[in-house]
Amino acid sequence: MTTADSRALAKRLLACLVGGLVLAVMWGPQEGSQNDYYFELRTSLGFPRVLIFLGIGVVVFLAMTFWPVLRPFLSRPGVWPFLSGLLAVLAGQTLMHWYDPLGDGKFGTVATAVSQTKGISALTSAYFGWLAWTELALVVVLCAVGIALRLRLAAWIGGALAVIAAVLTWYAQHSVVAKGGGIDHSLGWGAVVVGYLVIAFAAGVIALSDAQVATGRAFADRLLGWRPGLPLVIAGVVLGLLAFYVGRWFAPSSTQYNTDFGGLHAVFAPTALASWAMAYLSWAGWVLLPVAVVLAGIAAYLRSRPLAWVAAAVGTLAAIYTLATLYEFSKIAARVAPTFGSTWQNLGTGGWMACGAFLLLGGAGYVAATAESAPQQGSEEAATVSPAAPAQVADEARSRSFLTAPGAARSLVIATIAFALFYPPTATSFWQSVLVSEIGIYVLLAVGLNVVVGWAGLLDLGFIAFFAIGSYTTAYLTNSLPIHPPSWLVLPPLAAIPFAVVICLIAGVLLGAPTLRLRGDYLAIVTLGFGEIIRIIANNADAITNGSRGTAVDPSRGVNNVPHPSIHIGPLHITWGLNQLQYWYLLLVLVVIVVVLFRRLENSRLGRAWAAIREDEVAAQATGMNTFRVKLLAFAIGASTSGLAGVFFGSYIGFFTPDNFVLNNSILVVAYVVFGGMGSLPGAMAGAALLTWLPEFLKNQVPAPDRQMWIGAVVLLMMIFRPAGLLPARRRRIELSADHLEEASSAETIAVPSHVGGAV
Amino acid sequence: MSAPQPLLDVREIEVRYGAIRALKGVSFSVGAGEVVALLGANGAGKTTTQKTVSGMLRPVAGTIEFEGRRIDGTPAHKLVDLGICHVPEGRHVFPRMTVAENLDMGAFRFKQPDPADLERVLELFPRLKERYGQHSGTLSGGEQQMLAIGRALMGKPRLLLLDEPSMGLAPLIVAQIFDIVREINRSGVTVLLVEQNASQALSLADRGYVLETGDIVLEGAGRDLLADERVRAAYLGEEIAAS
Ligand SMILES: Nc1ncnc2c1ncn2[C@@H]1O[C@H](COP(=O)(O)OP(=O)(O)OP(=O)(O)O)[C@@H](O)[C@H]1O
Ligand SMILES: [Mg+2]
Repeated sequence: MTTADSRALAKRLLACLVGGLVLAVMWGPQEGSQNDYYFELRTSLGFPRVLIFLGIGVVVFLAMTFWPVLRPFLSRPGVWPFLSGLLAVLAGQTLMHWYDPLGDGKFGTVATAVSQTKGISALTSAYFGWLAWTELALVVVLCAVGIALRLRLAAWIGGALAVIAAVLTWYAQHSVVAKGGGIDHSLGWGAVVVGYLVIAFAAGVIALSDAQVATGRAFADRLLGWRPGLPLVIAGVVLGLLAFYVGRWFAPSSTQYNTDFGGLHAVFAPTALASWAMAYLSWAGWVLLPVAVVLAGIAAYLRSRPLAWVAAAVGTLAAIYTLATLYEFSKIAARVAPTFGSTWQNLGTGGWMACGAFLLLGGAGYVAATAESAPQQGSEEAATVSPAAPAQVADEARSRSFLTAPGAARSLVIATIAFALFYPPTATSFWQSVLVSEIGIYVLLAVGLNVVVGWAGLLDLGFIAFFAIGSYTTAYLTNSLPIHPPSWLVLPPLAAIPFAVVICLIAGVLLGAPTLRLRGDYLAIVTLGFGEIIRIIANNADAITNGSRGTAVDPSRGVNNVPHPSIHIGPLHITWGLNQLQYWYLLLVLVVIVVVLFRRLENSRLGRAWAAIREDEVAAQATGMNTFRVKLLAFAIGASTSGLAGVFFGSYIGFFTPDNFVLNNSILVVAYVVFGGMGSLPGAMAGAALLTWLPEFLKNQVPAPDRQMWIGAVVLLMMIFRPAGLLPARRRRIELSADHLEEASSAETIAVPSHVGGAV
Repeated sequence: MSAPQPLLDVREIEVRYGAIRALKGVSFSVGAGEVVALLGANGAGKTTTQKTVSGMLRPVAGTIEFEGRRIDGTPAHKLVDLGICHVPEGRHVFPRMTVAENLDMGAFRFKQPDPADLERVLELFPRLKERYGQHSGTLSGGEQQMLAIGRALMGKPRLLLLDEPSMGLAPLIVAQIFDIVREINRSGVTVLLVEQNASQALSLADRGYVLETGDIVLEGAGRDLLADERVRAAYLGEEIAAS
């Protein structure tokens, strides 16, 4: 080794060690106390804690130095599932919270508590004492040996140990909960169990696969595409079994107000439950589940369309039947135990899981009924260079990056819908409010901004201004501002939707018309200014918006106090009150409407024009597009979505101040769209949902000062591994992935489809 | 020489970029079915002239008539509807769309692209047929130029404005492109061609105009201009023959 080499190595080692020190300082709270300013600093750099971080530095150093040696191993089959499982286990045992009667504690805290508690089974105390880390080390070593040396036996043993570890974790957790009593909300043990199961799966892959290079993507594609709808059937079966055997259902007369499905019949027998609901409990539920499963399973397996439609109908009707039964429950609950069920809350988890299971099974039928027949790879090989064929093949090659198996995307949509419909009622009220006021609203905003930023390629940094305009318009029309509309114009909130949408549309045009001739950075700056102007006007135009004071000024006048929405159509009367759930479903309806409309828009003439302008404005003009109008439409449509969100926000939150519309929020929405994948509708929604969910989730998992660091880490990882976003739009993916560019640009790949289906 | 009713009649147009007068009263006409070349040094105003004709710029004075209708000041997208299709300078293709999608975009003004047009374009440019599913951003420069022309043809042009189609291309490809322009013209499309490559352009063109800092200084039949000493000196790099 030359001196130059060793000097470079020494430098690298030094850098890694310093990095370790920096991490050590960053970890945990940094502020000192008044008497001893450097207290925290000393703790973080103190012995032995600092050794861990220096150790991390050394590991990074080794990884960097031996990267060329390591690299080929990383592409072996099973490595990625193994590493992600390991990550989950590590996160569970270090970061996340475990059950602790005194509040949720880290694994270490619980371990200490267990060691000091008498009367806990030997296995449990061993688990928390030494077994947990030992078994993890064993599993890791065995799997690593299996990967590196291709020793199947080691992998098998590692996998078996991982399964045992998962069971042990579950057992230890439950014995601690049984000992401590109370309700367990911790997630740490769950992450460990799931992590171990993933590792077990990885071990199976390591032991069984003969491939040199992982073909996980192709494998998953084949698995998902084998029988469209079957994955949903399996999910439905699992959820259905959980619903009927594990989930708790509301039960009026037991002291705990819950029981499992088997016990319901007896409990409800003396009550005035409607006979058809009784029938569900005594036999219909038991019959419907297997019938729905068998129908959907057979339909998917045989690819029989008529049968699949029958399965879809049965599943959907069963879900409705379950829901109606739950409704009967809620009527009884309202009388017997008013905190249960009267507002669809606290009806237990089982009923909703059953609804979800039936919906999944019905959805499986639908997917099986509508899936295209399996792609006949290789039959196009006859090298027909007819205009349509090569493009189609290239299309396939391009879209491989995400869920290309027939029916897979549709299955995911159905699963998402099932989750969105039936998860919220089982969530705690904290999560319900997060769902409505953070996730839902920002999903709507992100979908709107995606039109502007993602489709038309116009960077708008003042998007929240339209949200503000929508909110204030609603406040005005519901007579909640210091200035009053003429009495004939005072509207209920939902009736304000068209007005707010139109006003935001106009605001979009008014802002767009003078500014859309600007490009790129200039547009960004001008929109940023616009956003601030709107906020400052709202803040200072006291006589109109009541400035920054919100409701505090004169509650009797109801200033900024937007009424709750209500619907009265014929026999249908719904008033949204304080129940978060109702808002959630209202929001869901709005989001679904907007998404359905926007999907049509994306593939319309206008959508194509947006794509063209984003790509090359001069060329777009030369092909006869009215580029100005097209951009203006993007702006206006985005703004009107924001206005819709504003109506919802205004009437949901009841009162608001200009501080709800700060620049930061505009930038967050842009971040959500970019994170999700610019120009991709599912991406924008997933990005907004994930990035609004994550901070709330981390609230209970990591120390408060560290929260932003973790979010930053997630965004960073995302940029490294999926630079085009979470669920990138087809075109963006092409732009950012050099591999794809090469793949798509070689004419051979396009001409010979069999090649396309090969290794990824 | 000039037909009784020229397809395009440009009279005394003046175009400004702020304080800069890029065109100082340019007049010329293009008869139906002709190929007319517009020559001139860098910065003479050729691109400006074409952009004004295609509606991307507005003249501050003067008139432009297409089939006897005033079109100056009409926005570009409406002129495309009249059949004035512009292939702008510098190969503007949609890089992340495939060749197929680019061609479809060319027919944006129609509800559906005409399959007959597509067939014809792919016949004119067999290269595009080979690369049909490829992203145009990954095409070679020459292929991109072909795509840009092909895309304009998908809009059923009556007057095709070509701005330096030979820029940066190998001589062989340049010759191909000029052949194709000739073929396009034969099929009944009138062409207004801007070129640096004066000899090839003039041997193709029926007539030509020479621009110099915003003014037409010479005009005449293609062959006459090709023989003109001043043209030869300025654009073909020949010494003025000692008179
Ligand atoms: N957007 C603009 N703003 C200001 N001046 C411009 C603009 N576009 C062109 N010009 C000026 O107008 C004059 C004519 O430009 P034009 O692009 O028409 O030249 P050209 O004949 O096409 O040249 P080339 O052969 O180099 O393409 C030049 O002096 C140029 O600097
Ligand atoms: Mg030019």
